[in-house]
Amino acid sequence: MSSNFFLAAFHWQSRAVVLRHLKVHLRNWYTAALPPVCEPLVMLLAFGVGLGGQISELRWHGSQIGYLAYLAPGILAYTVFMTAFFQSLFSAYMRMHYQKSWEGQLTTQVRLEHVVWGEALWSATLATSYAVIVCLVLLCFSLMGSLNLHWGWLPLAVPLLFLSALAFSAVGLLFTATLPSIDHMSLPIFLVILPVGFSSSTYFPLPDRPWLNVLANANPLHHLSEGLRFLLLRGELTWHLAAAAILCLLLLLVLLPQDLRLLRKRVFGDS
Amino acid sequence: MRAEPTRSDSPTLPLLEVRGLRKTLGGKLVVDGVDLTCHGGEVIGLLGPNGAGKTTSLRMCYGFLRPDAGSIRIAGHDLATDGDRARRSLGVCTQDDTFDSDFTVRGNLEQTACYYRPGIEGLPARIDSLLDQFGLREYAKSKPTTLSGGFKRRLMIARAVVHGPKVVFLDEPTTGLDPQARRAVWELVSQLRAVGLAVVLTTHYMDEAERLSDRLVLLQAGRVRATGTTRELLGALVGEHIVVVPNNHKGAEHVPGWLKERGLTSSSVLDEWHLALDAGGLAAFVAAFPHLRYEVRPPTLDDLFMALEREDLP
Repeated sequence: MSSNFFLAAFHWQSRAVVLRHLKVHLRNWYTAALPPVCEPLVMLLAFGVGLGGQISELRWHGSQIGYLAYLAPGILAYTVFMTAFFQSLFSAYMRMHYQKSWEGQLTTQVRLEHVVWGEALWSATLATSYAVIVCLVLLCFSLMGSLNLHWGWLPLAVPLLFLSALAFSAVGLLFTATLPSIDHMSLPIFLVILPVGFSSSTYFPLPDRPWLNVLANANPLHHLSEGLRFLLLRGELTWHLAAAAILCLLLLLVLLPQDLRLLRKRVFGDS
Repeated sequence: MRAEPTRSDSPTLPLLEVRGLRKTLGGKLVVDGVDLTCHGGEVIGLLGPNGAGKTTSLRMCYGFLRPDAGSIRIAGHDLATDGDRARRSLGVCTQDDTFDSDFTVRGNLEQTACYYRPGIEGLPARIDSLLDQFGLREYAKSKPTTLSGGFKRRLMIARAVVHGPKVVFLDEPTTGLDPQARRAVWELVSQLRAVGLAVVLTTHYMDEAERLSDRLVLLQAGRVRATGTTRELLGALVGEHIVVVPNNHKGAEHVPGWLKERGLTSSSVLDEWHLALDAGGLAAFVAAFPHLRYEVRPPTLDDLFMALEREDLP
């Protein structure tokens, strides 16, 4: 099942599902573009400028850097994580359970593996495009002289952002497949978003504790944040980027087939 | 309707061919060796009490569920080994409204067409024609959620045929509709038959099954119990006449004893007994109860369901 399932990502049906989501998204582009612009802007202003003004500088891997500079790559990584996760969790759940648009698609030549890939690829595409918008916001801060980033390396990071988003969407789909009802939507927030977010060095450097190091090393968001930080602040390609890629690839290979199995049971009542 | 030439275009070969379908769900054998055939221009009604295996059989036929055993051929294409072509040749109207509420009525038809390959030639003209045929023209730019129940069903059926399938599955297409809307859907089903589609429908409405179906397939406990026209099924499984006796009338208290002597049973509907009798039985009943008030009528599919229910009782 697995090899066929992964090939389904390249089938025309998966693209048709992605294009369906794109059509709907583009129709509401003016409202859809607000979150990726406003959220980093608010975070950078509130935390970077506001909180950063209070703590001035912090120590990161042997050097003193401003909090705004520390925060910027972290926000980039966090945007990918949150967008992919929520799109594949909340939006996909709505389409599956309330809109029943999955069932409508499944009465055609589209099969469940295409719907699952369509949701994952769309979440990853949206998350990556939001990350690009965040980059534009960061560029504005750079142009104003508030940030000094190594922009030349950024295109290299885009494929990794896409892969990471794909992996995070696989986690989101796992909850889409297993949450008993929409009333349980707070569960993934407590089980995934908070622990992954707070052990990721997105907003603050992690204290040096053995147990926390173990957690952080298993956390792809931590490696993505740190990898982007080294890349954008120092222009260095570090092992964090490779670690993020490997962990995300593992997540994808392990979780997405499970998502399909669980969703088959949920959607068709068939194991 | 669009039609691609295949060997199944021959009028003698069925467009839907189902053999030995079996399915276990949750450890329970739900469908046990179901065979079905449906030719172009034919409507077959899949009937049975709740839990008989109708929906599971239908869901296997349109690819929602994988059968544990058996084969399904749609317009000559095996659903298991040639799934894409088989699915290209079938259309489905599910029991629930599964249109895409992010699109307008017209957008729904356009979007559904995007889920088929090869694509549909002259799609805008085809959609125009469907909007007219299904009476949806004035709602073309409306969101489907704003439509009445009857028009939502029309849209669902229009979606099911937008790609020009050869076999259409309609799962309880008129459930929850008012009589006028039901009749409109009946008209549409007749139109689908008239253009040569093979139509398989499930319904709980007996009048609907009788009016629309050329042939009925009666499922009971996951098996095909009987196949035939309405009259054939009723004659074989119910009887020639139904005697309706108000059970609170004077003299009616002797009816159960009379039935027991002959090894017959009756169905109880509110304060009436419904007795299924053949010509001889009716004559004997008339002779035995000369002063009793009762009504004699031909059997309906409701009587058939009640007869099956009695069989299921321990």
